[in-house]
Amino acid sequence: MTNMYISIILIIAAPLIGGLLYGFERIVKARMQRRIGPPLLQPFYDFFKLADKRKMVVHSAHAFLGIMHFISLWFALAVLLLGGDLILVIFLHLLSSALLILSAYSTRSVFSHLGANRSAISILAYEPVLIIIAVSIFMLTGSFEAGAAFSSNQPLLYKMPLAFVALLLVLPIKLKKSPFDVAEAHQEVTGGVELEFSGIFYEAVYTAKWLDYVFCYTLIFLFAGSNLLLGFALSIFTFIYLNALDNSTARVNYKQMLRFSLGVSFSLAFINLLINSLS
Amino acid sequence: MNLSGYRKKSPWILHYNAGSCNGCDIEILACLGPKYDIERFGMINTGNPKQSDILLVTGPVTKRSRERLVEIYAQMPEPKVVIACGACASTGGVFRGMYNCEGGVDQYIPVDVYVCGCGTRPEQIIDGVVQGLAILEQKTKELEASVKLNNEAIEENHQVNRRHIAASIK
Ligand code: SF4
Repeated sequence: MTNMYISIILIIAAPLIGGLLYGFERIVKARMQRRIGPPLLQPFYDFFKLADKRKMVVHSAHAFLGIMHFISLWFALAVLLLGGDLILVIFLHLLSSALLILSAYSTRSVFSHLGANRSAISILAYEPVLIIIAVSIFMLTGSFEAGAAFSSNQPLLYKMPLAFVALLLVLPIKLKKSPFDVAEAHQEVTGGVELEFSGIFYEAVYTAKWLDYVFCYTLIFLFAGSNLLLGFALSIFTFIYLNALDNSTARVNYKQMLRFSLGVSFSLAFINLLINSLS
Repeated sequence: MNLSGYRKKSPWILHYNAGSCNGCDIEILACLGPKYDIERFGMINTGNPKQSDILLVTGPVTKRSRERLVEIYAQMPEPKVVIACGACASTGGVFRGMYNCEGGVDQYIPVDVYVCGCGTRPEQIIDGVVQGLAILEQKTKELEASVKLNNEAIEENHQVNRRHIAASIK
């Protein structure tokens, strides 16, 4: 029962946690570049500022889809934190991305369309890997429930290390980090899908990004089972890895990304699945 | 709730090159680098007019770029501040009087802060942006309200008189 309360508190506080994570990440990234970096609460300052700006709505469906993106992502996170079905979580997450892509297609901006194309391709790159990981978890715990993975005594990491590596390789695509950030690519398509949002409607997309952080780190926690210490260690490792990777690599194009993700990450996860099902 | 105090804590910058020699642009990029690091004030170079607060313009406005300049300005949601960076953007600078440009951003859009120098220094740019932030904070909601013209045209002596329609605009 206490677990349940903790999950509910986590779900409600998820945007807060995500915002703090994002703020902290910006500081760490700046320090890696020998800069001072913004204050920790910077994402919240941005949030309040955006709330005060004039809204320029392209058309109402566009704004509505942006908000639905945020809500469905929060819903996916809630299902994951409450220990629900992993396949459902993955598809809810897919739905939220699809809503954002749809909103980007609904405008007439070329950059928005480009960003939507690229986002769709990045979904193609990471989603199969996530599904294979979910199936591997099913092979090990006998159920698709995230709760089974959270409460398993032996951390899943020891049984499926290759799947963890595969997850590490697709996380940059999901969080739009440097070698695989074609979907956002600020210098090329200036944000892509989020381009046409402004004011309070951009806020929905901006906070959805924070939720994505919490989502990804919860996925990391799946691998630690009931061992919280290991979970935190893995998250810290992932955090440093993601930022170091983001700072030290240049963007690859979408073909290279797709080839790498389906060639390397997918095969890693698949080999892991084979080993799990054989043993 | 009064949120205008947060404006100066997270100004997002849009940089537009209206035909500059690239000297001022490099200085703006230098502000983002480790030495000056304007991100510590929460500034980001967004490149997206719909989400930015400050428009940094460099260079004299050439005949090719003026439409784009006005369009970008129109796409920025209020409250917004325009900063003319460099001698070119302020007055036309070394390009003043040339056949292809018309000198000065303020011929097309309202400018709030002028930053001088041919090749402005990063310190000057930061100073200009800080002054711009003070202006940004004072901009009120009234500025963005659209004006409704309520007065109808009057017919006097078989002539339609519209002279007083716009009289309500201050
Ligand atoms: S002010 Fe000088 S450095 Fe700046 S754009 Fe003009 S000519 Fe170039």
